[in-house]
Amino acid sequence: MPILEVPSRYRVPTRGEAVLELSGTTIRECIAEAETRFPGFLELILDSQGRQKRFVRFFLNGEGLERDALDSALEPGDRVTIMASAAGG
Amino acid sequence: MADRKTDRLIRVDMTRQTATIESFPEKWKLLGGRGLSARILLEECDPTCDPLEAENVFVLAPGLLAGSSAPTSGRLSVGGKSPLTGGIKEANVGGDAGQDLMKLGYRAVIVTGKPENPDLRYGLSVFADEVTVVGADEHKGKWNYPLIEDLCKVYSKKASFVSIGPAGELLLAGASVACTDHSQDRHPARHAGRGGLGAVMGSKGLKFFVIEAGGTRARKPVDKTFFQLSKKYTREFVAGPGQEPFPKWGTSVICEEANSIYTFPYKNRVEGRSPDVETLDGMRIVESFETRGGGMHNCLTGCIVKCSNIVHDANGEYKTSGLEFETLTMLGSNCAIAHWEDVADLDRLCDDIGLDTIEMGAAIGVYMDAGGMEFGDAEGAKRLVREIAEGTEIGRAIGNGAATIGRLKNHHRVPSVKGQAIPAWDPRPLKSAGVTYCTSAMGADHTAGLVVDPGMAPEEFVRSSQESQILNAVVDSSGFCQFLMPNIVEIGEFYSSFLGTSISREEMADMGWRCLEDEWEFNRRAGFGPEDDKMAPCMAEDVIGDEVKFVWDVPDSVVATAYERFEAREELFEMRPS
Repeated sequence: MPILEVPSRYRVPTRGEAVLELSGTTIRECIAEAETRFPGFLELILDSQGRQKRFVRFFLNGEGLERDALDSALEPGDRVTIMASAAGG
Repeated sequence: MADRKTDRLIRVDMTRQTATIESFPEKWKLLGGRGLSARILLEECDPTCDPLEAENVFVLAPGLLAGSSAPTSGRLSVGGKSPLTGGIKEANVGGDAGQDLMKLGYRAVIVTGKPENPDLRYGLSVFADEVTVVGADEHKGKWNYPLIEDLCKVYSKKASFVSIGPAGELLLAGASVACTDHSQDRHPARHAGRGGLGAVMGSKGLKFFVIEAGGTRARKPVDKTFFQLSKKYTREFVAGPGQEPFPKWGTSVICEEANSIYTFPYKNRVEGRSPDVETLDGMRIVESFETRGGGMHNCLTGCIVKCSNIVHDANGEYKTSGLEFETLTMLGSNCAIAHWEDVADLDRLCDDIGLDTIEMGAAIGVYMDAGGMEFGDAEGAKRLVREIAEGTEIGRAIGNGAATIGRLKNHHRVPSVKGQAIPAWDPRPLKSAGVTYCTSAMGADHTAGLVVDPGMAPEEFVRSSQESQILNAVVDSSGFCQFLMPNIVEIGEFYSSFLGTSISREEMADMGWRCLEDEWEFNRRAGFGPEDDKMAPCMAEDVIGDEVKFVWDVPDSVVATAYERFEAREELFEMRPS
């Protein structure tokens, strides 16, 4: 099963859960599954058109992914890390 | 070309209108920017003084690396006892003044005294070997933009300026200090905004500083590896973080992200999200570049971040620059003003009059919440800001900040700490930032230690705040911009090669902690105590959020532990400014 690592910035809906074991076969499916378990999670990651939000980046097994990789296939045991790059004031 | 051997400082006595150049004291050699300002104030300013009287000390202190070839390292610290909080204040600003002062070898400008006649205005002209107080009565009452336009006709094309607008002359506690940016027109668009230091400068009778660095070259490091280090850091930043949305488009495009985590305050913070986020989001500004012109630029010479936007109006004419997330939030969403173009108008007015946009957004939000004006009345808000320059009764109250207008209207919801308005980043979802607002000597100031992490475990609130406060004290002392996001280790490498002496990461962290201790000690001597560290009551009363609720609930006893230094862990050295 793919593993989704959630940065603490997005752990409010997951009630502090940092690592989610999911059964989806793509990042998009994993996020949708996470949403059913933790309502409010999806809107932090995807916009209303289902696109990756501006400050969200995904890493697959430590390698940065392009922004259009939401529907790329995942293998069992893959580790998807979400990073939030926003800062500033 | 200045190097450390010829370092000097400028002392200005505004009671006698004299300026002298002295050698820079050896005891301060490792200090710059915020750390230097704090030490000067602790050693030379009576903490119990009236901030607007002769005894207060007004400081300009560039960061230690300013004027060098290190990337984005020319920030200037403006310091003094704050008329807004009654405590110590450092406001950090871009533009070219910091670079130019250091290229000339001036590590600090220390201004004391006060002219006998408060109606007279003065300027300070700074050249390589001559510093002079000059009469400036002809500039009395001028707004920043026309003032700089006039000064540019008198001084050289390479001169940089530090100035105040009418708000500083009116001695208002929300007055800012403006610095001209790196653009050809030298717009007075970079502001040391927080804490009312514009009023301190105004109380000294000073309308402007002009710094004539001419073609002076960058400061020389002791160790030539400094140049390789600068190149390496620049290359890695440009290929890495420089590609991310924030450096590419600036802070204004963070609105949507902030809204999603309930830190885009709406209607004087009764909500954490705004229904107008789409029309306030800085991406609309980015989109406007194509049809109107404008774009991104570097606010100071040698900046590689280039996060400052230049905003044009519908006719393609320059309107303002450096329209930041904080301004879009506080003068936009917080006042239920729905469109970024109205906020751009307000930003220009604040820059021109010389006002802190965060404090003004908070003050107008309180005024609206108290029934003084309808929420969302953009034109009314613009009229109100113009009234500040006119010095009307309500204008003065708004210009003195959120706490003042709250008292005047006897309103219960005043989001401030130590008298300074809470910035956009909200302490209810961001409790570690809230600990910073409570324990920073400067009150509610996100630049003192911001941690954007609503999912943080409670046991981390204080420790993370302390680490962020240490880091930001180091960054603000170095001259580096927080948006370059250097960590303590990297800053230490720059210090070591610039000064030619090895400085460990632990010593760097100690310098940051010492800066915090100096600031806390100043406040203690000024009479501050634990009761001044309390979060605004409305943050504990007004719950925000939807499925998950957020409220300020960190006990005072826990907050107070931020004053006890934690043992350093790896996170401190790896942390980067948020």
